[in-house]
Amino acid sequence: MKPAAFEYLAPVSLAEAVAALGRDDAKILAGGQSLVPMLNFRLRAPSLLVDIGRIPGLDYIEDDRAGGLRIGAMTRHHTVETSDLLRQRFPVLHAAMQYVAHLAIRNKGTIGGSLCHGDPAAELPGLMLLLDARLKTTQRTIAAEDFYEGALDTALAEDEILTEILLPPLPAGTGWGFEEFARRSGDFALTAVGATVGEEARIVAIGAHETPLRLRAAEALFPDIEAAAEAAREEVSPNDDLHGSADYRRHLVSVLTRHALMSAREGAAS
Amino acid sequence: MEIEARPKMIGARVQRVEDPRMLTGHGRFIDDINLPRTLHIAFCRSDHGHARIAAIDSAEAAGMPGVAAVVTAADIEGLLQTVRATSTMANFHGTELPVLAMDKVRHVGEPIAAVLAESRYLAEDAAERIAVTYEALPTVIDPAAAAEPDAPLLHEEIGSNVLIERTFERGEVDAAMAAAPVRVGGHFRMHRKTPVAMENRGYLADYDQGRGSLTLHSTTQVPGIVRDTLVRMLDLPGNRLRVVAPDVGGGFGGKTALYREEVLVCVLARKFGRPVKWLSDRLEDLISTSQAFDEVVEAELACDDEGQILGLRADVIGDVGAYSGYPWSAAIEPVQVVSFLPGPYRVENYRGRVRGVATSKSPMGAYRGVGRPISTFVMERLIDMAAVKLSLDPLEMRRRNMVRAEEFPYKSASGIVWDRAGFLECLETACDGADYGALRRQQAAARQQGRWVGIGLASYVELTGLGSRIAVAPGMPVNTGTESATVRIDSTGAVTAYFGIASHGQGLETTLAQIVAEELGARLQDIEVLHGDSDAVAHGTGTYASRSAVLAGGAAIVSARAVREQVMKAASHLLEADAGDMDAANGEIFVKGTDRRLSFRELARAVYTEVNRLPRELREDIELEASNIYDPYFGTATPATHLAVVEVDPETFGVTVQRYVVADDCGRIINPLIADGQVHGGVAQGIGAALLEEVVYDDTGQILTASLMDYVVPTAVEIPAMEVFHLETELPNNIGGFRGLGEGGTIGAPAAIANAIADAVGHLNIDINELPMTPERLFRLVSQKEE
Repeated sequence: MKPAAFEYLAPVSLAEAVAALGRDDAKILAGGQSLVPMLNFRLRAPSLLVDIGRIPGLDYIEDDRAGGLRIGAMTRHHTVETSDLLRQRFPVLHAAMQYVAHLAIRNKGTIGGSLCHGDPAAELPGLMLLLDARLKTTQRTIAAEDFYEGALDTALAEDEILTEILLPPLPAGTGWGFEEFARRSGDFALTAVGATVGEEARIVAIGAHETPLRLRAAEALFPDIEAAAEAAREEVSPNDDLHGSADYRRHLVSVLTRHALMSAREGAAS
Repeated sequence: MEIEARPKMIGARVQRVEDPRMLTGHGRFIDDINLPRTLHIAFCRSDHGHARIAAIDSAEAAGMPGVAAVVTAADIEGLLQTVRATSTMANFHGTELPVLAMDKVRHVGEPIAAVLAESRYLAEDAAERIAVTYEALPTVIDPAAAAEPDAPLLHEEIGSNVLIERTFERGEVDAAMAAAPVRVGGHFRMHRKTPVAMENRGYLADYDQGRGSLTLHSTTQVPGIVRDTLVRMLDLPGNRLRVVAPDVGGGFGGKTALYREEVLVCVLARKFGRPVKWLSDRLEDLISTSQAFDEVVEAELACDDEGQILGLRADVIGDVGAYSGYPWSAAIEPVQVVSFLPGPYRVENYRGRVRGVATSKSPMGAYRGVGRPISTFVMERLIDMAAVKLSLDPLEMRRRNMVRAEEFPYKSASGIVWDRAGFLECLETACDGADYGALRRQQAAARQQGRWVGIGLASYVELTGLGSRIAVAPGMPVNTGTESATVRIDSTGAVTAYFGIASHGQGLETTLAQIVAEELGARLQDIEVLHGDSDAVAHGTGTYASRSAVLAGGAAIVSARAVREQVMKAASHLLEADAGDMDAANGEIFVKGTDRRLSFRELARAVYTEVNRLPRELREDIELEASNIYDPYFGTATPATHLAVVEVDPETFGVTVQRYVVADDCGRIINPLIADGQVHGGVAQGIGAALLEEVVYDDTGQILTASLMDYVVPTAVEIPAMEVFHLETELPNNIGGFRGLGEGGTIGAPAAIANAIADAVGHLNIDINELPMTPERLFRLVSQKEE
């Protein structure tokens, strides 16, 4: 479990980093919490690692003055988890952070790293979908909905770097729910469901599809929560794996959708 | 008036003397030992479950930067003698365990070639470039299918995959069962586990060409066994072969076998004249350290209308993997399942048949509990199933069948003789401690709210601290019944105690020092315990099978008492008092009722240095050192009852353990902190076996659980706080009165949790006969019931 040889570059500007990524099979190193294990297993053997950790100005959580937030891509999970501003504006994201791995990983891992890694069972990609985030890169701004193309596969070009996450404001009175089931505390979700309820319902399933998935049919059935929960079961296409069958994951999606919607509805009402 | 002033060291809640070293990062593990010119090994391992090796092309690898050599089986032929585990049991077939695969591979992960390079990185780069051409052979994955006569054979020369077959029988079981009014039974399955010690296995061999001597630094639990075996394999005298287990980060039985990598580093260090190191990474650990608990059991229990057991029969198939390991053999786990199945109960009619069957999986070996987690799971499920059928409380069912105080010594249905121990007392203590009656009322209230709460009991008795009368594995070439201790006071008055055991997390440096301190009257801080080194004593095997407190503790008492006699002989002259008027405590020898006293340091100086203090004849007669062995002969019995309260989420099918109570009879406690810690750790692993951990092989023999993402061990969050009660039933005929305690947690927990889950879903009439009971399995069981 030693990585194959690679070159290492730690640029101090985005321009320099983008230039370095022009090289074939270069890979961005952010917090290293997913990439480094993959290197050790030799599942990836890039010839160059571009460590973007020394580029200034990528680590912040800022008020966008319109009720939303701007989060720098290199902001550590622990910073996100403990931000008062974020907790006030996006309590659902705050609540979901407790399910993101373990403290040691949250101290190193970054929001941008998790979003670009794109594990369909990770919480943050699904939360971006739920909160309708826009993802700003060195080239453009991409809607979270358009960002995920498959498992571990994003819309980013080879030489494109995610720099900022823009979270638009949640309408006042929006209720929310986040429900996750994992075999152990800190594991990737067997399945998780996040929901917001305001004028309309928005529901996202995590770990039950090749990407995080908006459950539009279920959303349309709200406020009939039981019907929405039944519909959710049919919207996802989970895989069988060691920890749970597709059937079981569909069942979980249904159960968690019901609970997430009930919490969201209660929050919206109060 | 005489005042008892001696502080009691045995029984004291002493902080572990190991802790400051370990907790500040000053432990010295294999990876901390760096010798100049070391060559590092990376293995090319089989990615086939069963295949003939047609060709190995290592030319490219051999030419890679930093590579000293690539070694295959052909390159080490003639450099070592092979060994195979033997047994006097009938119907036992040993297997060779080739250090590197010869003509064929029998499981994924089997080492085929070793790259020796200047660093592990370079070695891994080269190992990737070794091309092995395989001719695939049919794999043998399902143990029941492997036992069939037409199954593909892993070891053709044996003519069968059944490596061991044995039956225990007493009474007229078939007649008793046929006539019984109540019968319960089922097909029970516990899945494969692996120990997952915090420190992976690792070996560093250093050959001194000038002296022709070899030192092996090893993560082994059994340095004495490794030394004695390597002496034969490498044809070196024992005084030129030293096996050192430095600080070792856990073993749980997984480091009690002699491993292929361990032998190979020695062979290669001698061949190349350079130190050779191999350190397992977690991937290798999960595919190559011994696995266990993979047992299939058909079992049936019969009783009368009052719940009295009338008969028990079982047919067990143990999946022992591809090879019979050394020294414990393929028999160790499966045979224990049937020999311990009757548990702490009166079972007059019994038949337990067992077959240990080879499959295309990593070899089975010892793992904390060895067989008894399965036998306890099956028997305790049967007891609860019978209780349900009879509408009897599970506690009452156990009371009616457990061996009673007046029945000791009781010969079990499989022939084990149980001497007096607190069987029923543990049952009652656990239930009183948990307030069983209140728990049942709380459970009823929770049920009213639609919550699935269950209470599970598990009672068992295990053999610990085995003496020479009962071998750990019958007929094997190792004496597991004795341990030795040397206690020495040096010329500075410091005490060093040398042992053949090898502490690797049990805190034996503390508990053995407590024993020596108590017996000598020395201070704890004056005693250094040396262990884990084959040079420490003439003979010792190591730490396994819940033996070290009993055997090494016993030897410590004998040797320390002998040294104390010598101390008193010298002190008697120096203090001008009769030995009977003196005592020793806190590092001083004193004349009782006076202020005449002498420190150990002063005494040592008088004996060794200040030659005018004692007459010559006396000095020549005094030896402040003693070496003794201790053999508990039959060994000790350790009974316990575990009680678990679980809640099953009726929607997600997640199981949480809400309360956990243990009452065991561990004899005289040396250190309550360490005794509790042993129980906590064992229960944690038992919870893993009950709910989480499973080594999974697919139909082609690929192992799917090769990382800790997929092989899931419990974390602190999944482990509840435990309430632990210790009974200290006296043990006559045993010098220290200690019973072994190291394995019980793992033995009781799977059964207690299985019973608690079964109780929680009792209203659905679901059998909980498979472990680990994952949410997926529970989902399926409930779904099937609903259909």
